[in-house]
Amino acid sequence: MAETPFSRRQNAFLLSPDPDLAKLLTGLWPDEVMRFTVFERGRRAIEHLFNDPPDLLVVDNRLPDISGAEVATLVKSENVYRQLPVILVLDGSDLDHSWDWDQVEVDDFLVRPLRGEEARARVNLTMLRAMRALDANPLSKLPGNTSIIQRIQQCIDRNEDFALAYCDLDYFKSFNDKYGFSRGDEVLMMTARVIVNTIRAFAGVRSFVGHVGGDDFVFIMPPDLVEEACRRVVQTFDSIVPHFYDAEDRTRGSIVSVDRQGETRTFPLMAVSIAVVFSTGARRLSHAGEAASIAMGLKKKAKENPKSCYVLDQRER
Amino acid sequence: MEEDLKTSVKGQILSIKDLPTLPKVLDEVSRLVQDPNANTDEIAKIISRDQVLSAKVLKMVNSPVYGFPGRIGTVQHALVLLGFNVVRGIIISTSVFDMMIKAMEGLWEHSLGCALAANVVARAAGLADPEEYSVAGLLHDLGKVVAAVQMPELHEAVSQAVREQDLRWFEAERAVMGFGHDRINAWLARHWNLPGNIREGMSHHHSPETAQLYPETAAAVHIGDWIVRIYEYGTGGDDQAAVLSKKALDMLKLKLSDMDRILDEFAGQLAEVSDLDMA
Repeated sequence: MAETPFSRRQNAFLLSPDPDLAKLLTGLWPDEVMRFTVFERGRRAIEHLFNDPPDLLVVDNRLPDISGAEVATLVKSENVYRQLPVILVLDGSDLDHSWDWDQVEVDDFLVRPLRGEEARARVNLTMLRAMRALDANPLSKLPGNTSIIQRIQQCIDRNEDFALAYCDLDYFKSFNDKYGFSRGDEVLMMTARVIVNTIRAFAGVRSFVGHVGGDDFVFIMPPDLVEEACRRVVQTFDSIVPHFYDAEDRTRGSIVSVDRQGETRTFPLMAVSIAVVFSTGARRLSHAGEAASIAMGLKKKAKENPKSCYVLDQRER
Repeated sequence: MEEDLKTSVKGQILSIKDLPTLPKVLDEVSRLVQDPNANTDEIAKIISRDQVLSAKVLKMVNSPVYGFPGRIGTVQHALVLLGFNVVRGIIISTSVFDMMIKAMEGLWEHSLGCALAANVVARAAGLADPEEYSVAGLLHDLGKVVAAVQMPELHEAVSQAVREQDLRWFEAERAVMGFGHDRINAWLARHWNLPGNIREGMSHHHSPETAQLYPETAAAVHIGDWIVRIYEYGTGGDDQAAVLSKKALDMLKLKLSDMDRILDEFAGQLAEVSDLDMA
């Protein structure tokens, strides 16, 4: 298999009437890395684009029937297509007038005459940057679901021994209900920082932290270090989280709120629950989904404890 | 005229870009952050002796970039949340005083002493999170440092007034500028999003009864300041005897007779740190 920065074959659309450009671009990647579909007209390509969005769209500003800017705007103004990276190919003279890049929301542009090596590097970079930006959690900027699943699958494919920890917060919802979303976001930012720095403090270790969304986080560690990592996350979280409550609640050690039935309820301070799944020796995970389903079972056990705690997968290892 | 001076001083204070520190602690921390196995507790312990480094990490962790401004009041928590890389970044970008070292040494000792004393007072009064009282004590004269860096002429004028008119530093500041370092502290603490208790400890230690939200912090720092002056450890810029506010004791439900125990406890802790030389 050819060397590739991507996790699977990429499909690209090129909208250009220029056969030389088509020849140059399609020749830059082996077919199993990136496959180009070339459209000589712009308008005709748009329906294809919307029905079956590619991984990359390269638009030539020389299109006779529609401007490159217009194609880019069409794609970028729809939230479902926005994440598609768009690269505009310009002639030097196109840059004689200034462009409003806030209106023309392309991800990058290339200028003729193209140098093959540079064009390939720029396109690869643009695509990877778009993937990272898309998948990052908007609050914590940590890698999101796509990256998490990719990373788990990568560990499985490489036959690595690894431990996968799922973290979430107990009583986060009652905190949010009482203090509001922005105070809730403060807690999520703090939690992200605690997990990231705890994991990174293990020097020289291959590890990963992702943010599934809301109060759900994931980290991956070598199996022999994961318990110590859990212990530290729990200890640090518990010592910091009281400071995110108002003094009165902190002193009492709980929050009191009235539910929809008009009943007064008391909730403890937030705690972190961690469920750890192992993939080692004879007990290897076969796919990312298996890890998630085992973890959900463990989570229930961890949740029975209102205090911060971690539960390790105790199946035969 | 006085308002104009206050506005321009405030602008100059808040525009501070580079706050230098003394070399001793900086060197020690610099060595530690080169060591990938150094642990956070060790680094926190050393940074907690230096008002400038402590202020820098607390300012950073409470900046809106991290998403929880005003929440973090201890160096230990700040270091955990910032992480090793960021802390190392702060350390390597910090410079040292190239002048005024002698004058600053006394102020550094005074601040460290006040941090210890405020902590002892908070414990004696049975207050929660005594480490936060240490931080408030450590930073209670930070305004003097920032003023010295940003407005050396005014700083010199205050110093001269202390010498020639036999004033306390705080009185001299008010005579020269119309306001004291407590006001400067309030500007800094608010601008840097420091937690409310640290802010009020810094800005109300000369009149704890005026603190709105955290009178205990202001009172503990006030008493701490008094204690460290009694022991003449370091200097706050003058050698005047300090006045202990009876109100501060009342606010913490402490009696004068409790002070014996508190002073003894403080003396013990001071002995542990006083042989560290700051520069």
